[in-house]
Amino acid sequence: MRTPLYHEHEKLNAKIVDFHGWEMPVWYTGIREEHLATRNSAGIFDASHMGEIWVSGKECVPFLERVLTRNIAAMPKHRVLYGFFLNERGGIIDDLTIYCVEPGERYMLCVNASNTPRDLDWMNVQNREGAVIEDRSPETALIALQGPDAGGIMKAVLGLDLDTLKSFTFTILATRDYGDIMISKTGYTGAGGTEIFLPAAKASGLWSSLVEQGAAPCGLGARDTLRLEMGYPLHGNDIDETTTPLEAGLSFAVNLEKPSFIGREALKEQSSSGVSRRLRGLVLRDRGVPRQGCICVKGSEQVGVVTSGSVSPVLGTGIALAYLDKSVGEKDEVEVIVREKHLRASVTRPPFVRGTAHT
Amino acid sequence: MEIPKELYYTQDHEWGSVEDGMMRVGITDYAQHELGDIVFVEFPEVGTVIAKGDPIGTVESVKAVSEVYAPVDGEIVEINEALADTPELVNQDCYGSAWMVVLKISDPSQVDTLMDAQAYRAYVEAEAK
Repeated sequence: MRTPLYHEHEKLNAKIVDFHGWEMPVWYTGIREEHLATRNSAGIFDASHMGEIWVSGKECVPFLERVLTRNIAAMPKHRVLYGFFLNERGGIIDDLTIYCVEPGERYMLCVNASNTPRDLDWMNVQNREGAVIEDRSPETALIALQGPDAGGIMKAVLGLDLDTLKSFTFTILATRDYGDIMISKTGYTGAGGTEIFLPAAKASGLWSSLVEQGAAPCGLGARDTLRLEMGYPLHGNDIDETTTPLEAGLSFAVNLEKPSFIGREALKEQSSSGVSRRLRGLVLRDRGVPRQGCICVKGSEQVGVVTSGSVSPVLGTGIALAYLDKSVGEKDEVEVIVREKHLRASVTRPPFVRGTAHT
Repeated sequence: MEIPKELYYTQDHEWGSVEDGMMRVGITDYAQHELGDIVFVEFPEVGTVIAKGDPIGTVESVKAVSEVYAPVDGEIVEINEALADTPELVNQDCYGSAWMVVLKISDPSQVDTLMDAQAYRAYVEAEAK
């Protein structure tokens, strides 16, 4: 599958890889350069492979309340929340952002690309309330413009002052050149900026304008190192149906006060009995690159496993997310086994670097 | 893509330069470009005796781990210590300051089995298709 921006990537000589069936750019000039461009100025990412599922109708709120971990009824217009679809065991079917387009009437869910078909099937099976569920992924493009210079570029291209938008809110702008676009003050890099949903047919035009104004095209490689530096989980790596939000340290996105939602009972129980493992940050003190699947040990005892790892372009050292036994706390030391070598690592609380997203 | 005329090449994208019975080895411009940003390199100890095709180093980019193989039989007599601190040199200067190891060649006749620049260019162009 290809996104509406595929030809832009080709024009820019991107290195294209297969990502869950999508032909996506992994980098254009280099992961490090793109990563630092996003931290220091502005990067632009094609995230059009992600899914946009619209839920509407009279019964949409009761339905969403039951399948999501957040308080949907309390969402004001144009608010964005991060939340989960959970299974009965509290495992994470998907993590997603929820957009309140019209309170009580219409919501958009932005879900992971590779999970979109599975999410849709699951939602349809769960939908006994009769909410209207529409997959608008094919006709929707998503461009993320991230970094401290995103505001200036948005001003130049769309005449919009991003500073007027609060974090985790969005606005809908009717434009002559790009149609109706949703501008969201969110991101997956920690660098600040915006994510823009727009009609697929208009994506190339907006992409080119943003690039002309100085946004550096960034591939999935930089997207991954940027999110890892912030400690943001990636579904399929750090979280999945066998891990719960409590284990992943994401309880902020679960409202256990809600009377009922799928997975709540399991989480309640886990919350009172305590988790046996926690997703933690690791900073390597020895040279090396921790990778997914690397075993963590303390003395002769296995205490965990790495779920994401790389070298931080900002720090220049190996960093990782790993599920560690509850006996291991922050500031403890463990060893990560990388190709039979034991590398020393400090247990930390992400983010690994200071983001600039807090406005 | 840069492929210097005076070097020898392998199918695994190493280059070698021969002088006084020694071969200096690194990875090619094609290899560093395919790997992307190099973030870590590691070599066996000086004195290690290796056979043609054995690993003489590990190169890691953000996305991939890759081995560097010996173009010929030999003994590792020198490794490029500077790359531990500055692995990015492999991307910047793969034929120069980012050489990786120096081998003392055991069997000089093996050098003739390696590709020259022209053959390597044809090989890479075929592989890229």
